[in-house]
Amino acid sequence: MRPVYLVLSVVVVLLVSSIPLALMGAAASDEADNIDGEIVTRDFSFRAGEGVRIGDYRVELLSVVSVIDGLVEVRVYKRASQFEDWRVMQDYRDVNFDGGKDRGGLTLTVVEIFDIDTVRMRAAYRSDYGYPQKYVTERALAPRNLPELKVFTTVDKTTVSTGDELKVTITVTNAGNDTARDVVIQDSPPLPQFRYLAGYPPKVKNQLQPGESDIVVYSMVAAAEGSVELAGTAARYSDSKATLYSATSQPVNIEIRPQRRPDLAFEVEAPGPIELGGEGAINVTIKNDGEAAAQRVEVKMGLRSGMDGLEFSGGGLDRSFFEIAPGDVERYSATVRGSRSGSYVVDLSASYRADGEMMQEDTSFQVSVLEREYKYLYYLPIVPVLIIGIWLYRRYKEYKY
Amino acid sequence: MLNVLMLGIGQCGNRILDAVNRESFGGSSKLSKYYSRQKFPSRVETLAINTAVNDLKELKFTAAKDRLHVPNLHGVGANRSLGKQGFWDNREMIMEEIEKRGDFDIAFVMTSSSGGTGSSFTPLIIHELKERYKNITVIAVMVLPFREEGSIYLQNAAFSMRDIMEVQSDGIILVDNQYLKRLSGDIKTAYDRINEMVAERLLFLIESLDSEMLSVTDLGDFKTVMRGGLGMGTLGFYESDKKTASLTSAIEGSLKPGGLLYPADVYEDAARAMIIIQGSRESLDVDEITKSVEKLSSKIGQVFKGIVIKKGRPKILSVFTLGQVPDLEMLYAQAAQAIQDEKSRKTRAKKQLDDAFAYIEDLEEVY
Repeated sequence: MRPVYLVLSVVVVLLVSSIPLALMGAAASDEADNIDGEIVTRDFSFRAGEGVRIGDYRVELLSVVSVIDGLVEVRVYKRASQFEDWRVMQDYRDVNFDGGKDRGGLTLTVVEIFDIDTVRMRAAYRSDYGYPQKYVTERALAPRNLPELKVFTTVDKTTVSTGDELKVTITVTNAGNDTARDVVIQDSPPLPQFRYLAGYPPKVKNQLQPGESDIVVYSMVAAAEGSVELAGTAARYSDSKATLYSATSQPVNIEIRPQRRPDLAFEVEAPGPIELGGEGAINVTIKNDGEAAAQRVEVKMGLRSGMDGLEFSGGGLDRSFFEIAPGDVERYSATVRGSRSGSYVVDLSASYRADGEMMQEDTSFQVSVLEREYKYLYYLPIVPVLIIGIWLYRRYKEYKY
Repeated sequence: MLNVLMLGIGQCGNRILDAVNRESFGGSSKLSKYYSRQKFPSRVETLAINTAVNDLKELKFTAAKDRLHVPNLHGVGANRSLGKQGFWDNREMIMEEIEKRGDFDIAFVMTSSSGGTGSSFTPLIIHELKERYKNITVIAVMVLPFREEGSIYLQNAAFSMRDIMEVQSDGIILVDNQYLKRLSGDIKTAYDRINEMVAERLLFLIESLDSEMLSVTDLGDFKTVMRGGLGMGTLGFYESDKKTASLTSAIEGSLKPGGLLYPADVYEDAARAMIIIQGSRESLDVDEITKSVEKLSSKIGQVFKGIVIKKGRPKILSVFTLGQVPDLEMLYAQAAQAIQDEKSRKTRAKKQLDDAFAYIEDLEEVY
């Protein structure tokens, strides 16, 4: 039986050796001549649920027990023999199977654990066993029960003004099918642009069952204007095998604008030149172009000195408004009568409150009162011209023969 | 105040009168009549008389009411007979026009001696003035023609001068165009300049006669001067360039041929003279005046002197009558020759015409 298998295996090895083993990332070290009894060492990678044929030996990776601890569970058996062995291998330690390499068996070493599924292994064996050949084990790979956390960081508003409060919501959801253990979240470090009010630093439950979510909220106040990137929240957790995982949420950009203030603006429609004794209407429009309400708005009119040539009816232009909301417009009018000719400058001043702070907006406009028009004055220059004309004509007639 | 009548008769007289009026406006500007007023030193009435209406129209500074057209005559064509007839026909109208201007102490009748209207009207008007105004002094200002202007002008000049002498005018002031040919420029400018010179001198004379003179000369003196000699005289004038110029040289300047209106050797030919000196008080040096006048009077006999104090540059006007006028004699000789020539030309022409007509004598037109 043995020589037959040997021949078969040689044929297979020959066939396979002509095909480069893609999975064998690194070139086999200690490449030696294919001579019976000589020991060769070859590296290969495989995943849990996969096996590697080395001669009659079958090496199957059952699972990575612990990435951190470097423990890998393997099953090694020899075809058509009684040899079967389950081992948990510590990485970087040579483990002899079936007597080890020097006795026709295998000596395996875990050289690298890539992740919870993939392992790189080094096998030392007699060279006539040929190259390791990968295969899928008959046993379907049982889905691993792993925790998988998803972290979302959201803020209730991404554009705020200084002084505004905003809430940061961190949602941690276990989307995996194993309990996430030792869950710790690490939010972005405290930023100078914010004052943190409550809930910071955020904390979540230590363990999260599959499908379970935990939501933490903390609030802060924007303190300085500018554009701020809120770094993503990192969640660290481990599974039942104490394998450490981490998940990070997307960073969030927050635009902090200057503090919201009211901004009152005057628009005054002054009458054109009004005739002496005539009347004109003054329309005043106050608009709050700001983002905050102006409160206790007092509009006062002031006349510069020597302005007694204007008479306002209906209380002049003084007005009070309890509040002018952002975007709101207040309009009012007054009638002015010109009692003396001249050009007058009227000052309007609105004082108002915003967040306890007194603010003021001033404007001024001009009202001209025309002088009384004496139309016949225009004819006066004609008189001397007429006199001269008559004089010249008389002289002309006097000397015309 | 003197009442002065200034008559300009005929084209030449009209123009001198216009120059007088222009002078009275005080400026040489053509527009002065529009902005200025006439300022005469005395009460001066001017009247331009002409038979040619176009000559009257040409005047610029004479008021329309002072232009008298003798109607129905479009000039007399240098024909004194026609002119005289025209005057007689319109005598009342003309004299009425003069008389309505009031009474006069002195009349200047300015005319050309050679033209038609002027030479024929002037003696008659002087006669009429003498008849109607008992105490009037009538001075004829006669402009003698260029000698080469033509035989008719020469004979007109000759006859009109005689006529004027006959009507007992108080004197003739001669102005000789021939003599004034020395003025440069075109003919119009030359005529204008002559007229201006005459006008300036006459107005100066009137002003002086009417002023309160430091040394008395008045109308009586003037008459005395004008009646001396042949009763013909002329005017000399000199205006000093500088205020402080020597009076002696100024007086002599007014007596030099260059300052006269008619060529004469004052020291030799003058019969009587009047020297009128006008100037500022400081410029009138008695010594200088006395010496100059004495020099003149030692030669010609009577010299009246008048001194007028007025600010401005010294101005001297000399008025004198001539005891002998050699030029006039020559003019009459030329006139007589011209008349003879004219007569012979006329006779020759008449004969030629008669000879020509002789061919058709006794013939009749045949058609």
